Amino acid sequence: MSTRQKSILILTVVAALLMCNQVSFAEDANEIVKKADHAAYYKSDSGRADVTMEITDSLGRTRNRKMAILRLDVKDGAEQKFYVYFHEPNDVKGMSYLVWKQIGKDDDRWLYLPAMDLVRRVSASDKRSSFVGTNFVYEDISGRGTEEDEHSLLEEEDGKYKIKSVPKDLGSVEFSYFISWIDKSNYMPVKAEYYDKQGKLYRTIEAVEVKDIKGYPTITKMKATDLNSGGNTVSEFSNVDYDIDVEENIFTERFLRRPPRKYIEG
Amino acid sequence: MKRIKITIIASIILLMCSGEGFSENLPKIHGFVEEAFAPRFGSDDVRHRQFNMAEGRLQLKTKYYFDDESILSDWQTELSVKSDFVLDFYSAGKVLTDLRELNVSFTPADIVDVKIGRQVLTWGTGDYLFLNDLFPKDYISFFIGREDEYLKKPSDALRVMFYPEWFNLDVAVVPFFEPDNTPTGYRLSFFDSFQGGIAGVNSERDIIEPSRTAKNMVYAGRAYRNFGSYESALYYYRGFDPSPRSYKNEAGRQLYHERMDAYGGSVRGPVLGGIGNAEVSYYHSPEDNSGDIRTIQNSRTKYLIGYDKDMGNDLSLGFQYYVEEIMDYNEYRRALLPADYRWDEFRHVVTNRITKLLAGQTVRLSLFTFFSPTDLDAYIRPSIVWYVTDAWTLSVGANLPWGKDSWTEFGGMQKNKNVYVRLRYGF
Repeated sequence: MSTRQKSILILTVVAALLMCNQVSFAEDANEIVKKADHAAYYKSDSGRADVTMEITDSLGRTRNRKMAILRLDVKDGAEQKFYVYFHEPNDVKGMSYLVWKQIGKDDDRWLYLPAMDLVRRVSASDKRSSFVGTNFVYEDISGRGTEEDEHSLLEEEDGKYKIKSVPKDLGSVEFSYFISWIDKSNYMPVKAEYYDKQGKLYRTIEAVEVKDIKGYPTITKMKATDLNSGGNTVSEFSNVDYDIDVEENIFTERFLRRPPRKYIEG
Repeated sequence: MKRIKITIIASIILLMCSGEGFSENLPKIHGFVEEAFAPRFGSDDVRHRQFNMAEGRLQLKTKYYFDDESILSDWQTELSVKSDFVLDFYSAGKVLTDLRELNVSFTPADIVDVKIGRQVLTWGTGDYLFLNDLFPKDYISFFIGREDEYLKKPSDALRVMFYPEWFNLDVAVVPFFEPDNTPTGYRLSFFDSFQGGIAGVNSERDIIEPSRTAKNMVYAGRAYRNFGSYESALYYYRGFDPSPRSYKNEAGRQLYHERMDAYGGSVRGPVLGGIGNAEVSYYHSPEDNSGDIRTIQNSRTKYLIGYDKDMGNDLSLGFQYYVEEIMDYNEYRRALLPADYRWDEFRHVVTNRITKLLAGQTVRLSLFTFFSPTDLDAYIRPSIVWYVTDAWTLSVGANLPWGKDSWTEFGGMQKNKNVYVRLRYGF
């Protein structure tokens, strides 16, 4: 074997190894992201929480949202139903909101306005719009389909996986990629950074407090910061419960009109 | 009127004091205080004021839940009270009480919910267009710039909702027919056929409401179910035309609400990345079965298709196409006298809604437009709502009806153009 042949062989082996490595890294990243999605959004098959959100703008002025959120998984890791009852502010008090999260198509959403006894169907194609005026977007609340991005594991640091996710359809979102940190011990996503089309960091989400509730690691306080506007929203979860044995028919028009007190008053 | 006011205040106080743990069981009272002013513009010699609305409003609402160990608690009984107190400068500073809700809801069986008392009733799929929703509306509030909530007038009703496995059934019984609030000439001018043009305080119509007898009770029903993401519904109504459209006695300028039955259906669901809806309703006029009685409204059919889409960046667009058809049109035409106004067989209306949220959803810009290519009239409703803080809301908007002729729906309203400002503090 000539030196030239040898070097070609070595190069081939190295290249193959590198490719293998990449493949296995990619698989790992997808696995990790799926587990993180499950840990963040599919704990138990049902749950509830009282949520307060404090929105602070760049001038330090605050607004508050208070609601109860009820969840039922129709299929683990896939379709879910959410029921949201608004307690504050006053102009939305008593409104109830129903989301049937779908996979591979638009979610179904209904909003009930009690003052007019009106069940309004809400068009929901933009999941990247603000959730009730906060710095959270709909996808932060109900999850982003893991198949919508290409994930790669960048590194492991401080007991966390650092993952880069690039959207497959760049036109459907306002970011070019995001980096997330996932706790290796329990797969909880604890931080995410979003980069705009120019590659500039413009938005972060972080778990400020994680508690163990009924054996499920749970984010009880999280913060979303908009670096462009200088505003942020801190969301706190209380009276969190899992395995709540809620019937699927709660997630229907009947209970939009007649909110189920047992679940909405924490 | 005074007695009602005292009763409401007394019941609220009673509610607050009832229950074992006084402070624990204290029902929370919410509501708002609002100042609203709507100067009108344009020349109009048929009305006496330079504004359409000038009022201060206090709304109080509360709910009481029966948590004692009785059947009321087993039935998850809930008492709901909501009342507005309005200091109305249009009516020389009179204080008016508008009791909007006073009802009891309960669940006597797993699949049945009941709501008795004064309540707002709504169903159907239209946006500001109502086909199968024949519950009372307040078009005066709508045209002078009050909040959307006031477009719906409450009904005193018994509503029973059944939820068996495979469909839902909603039945409303209204003992006394409640008409729409339509312009009378006092606050808003309108097309008055007796005057042969737009009339204001000079209008001298006499509107006869159905007598309060058992045979004049109003019944409305809706059967509905979902098929996946798609909603479907069938509707029924037995009552009276919500607006007085038929003549009792022309010489005496008497109008009345003719008997009316409605049968309809609707579907709604995801279409091309948005929400599509379609609705139809046939209004049968039993007093003019063959359509040849000149003084009584013919049967009609209303058709609607709509589409609503979220365009991203907090911008949403909505479109509707709506058609009204007069049935037995030949009979209708033949019955007319030479001096009568003649309606077209079809009235087409397109509507458009644009909503844009700005500044972290604290500002809402909205434009709603009605336009009829057949009547050549339109009604434009722009508005800006600024949620100044969680408690303070400032709304500014305009009501701009326009028409080529004075006898069409919006053309008859063309002298009621106004701008409005509302400042509200919610608690």
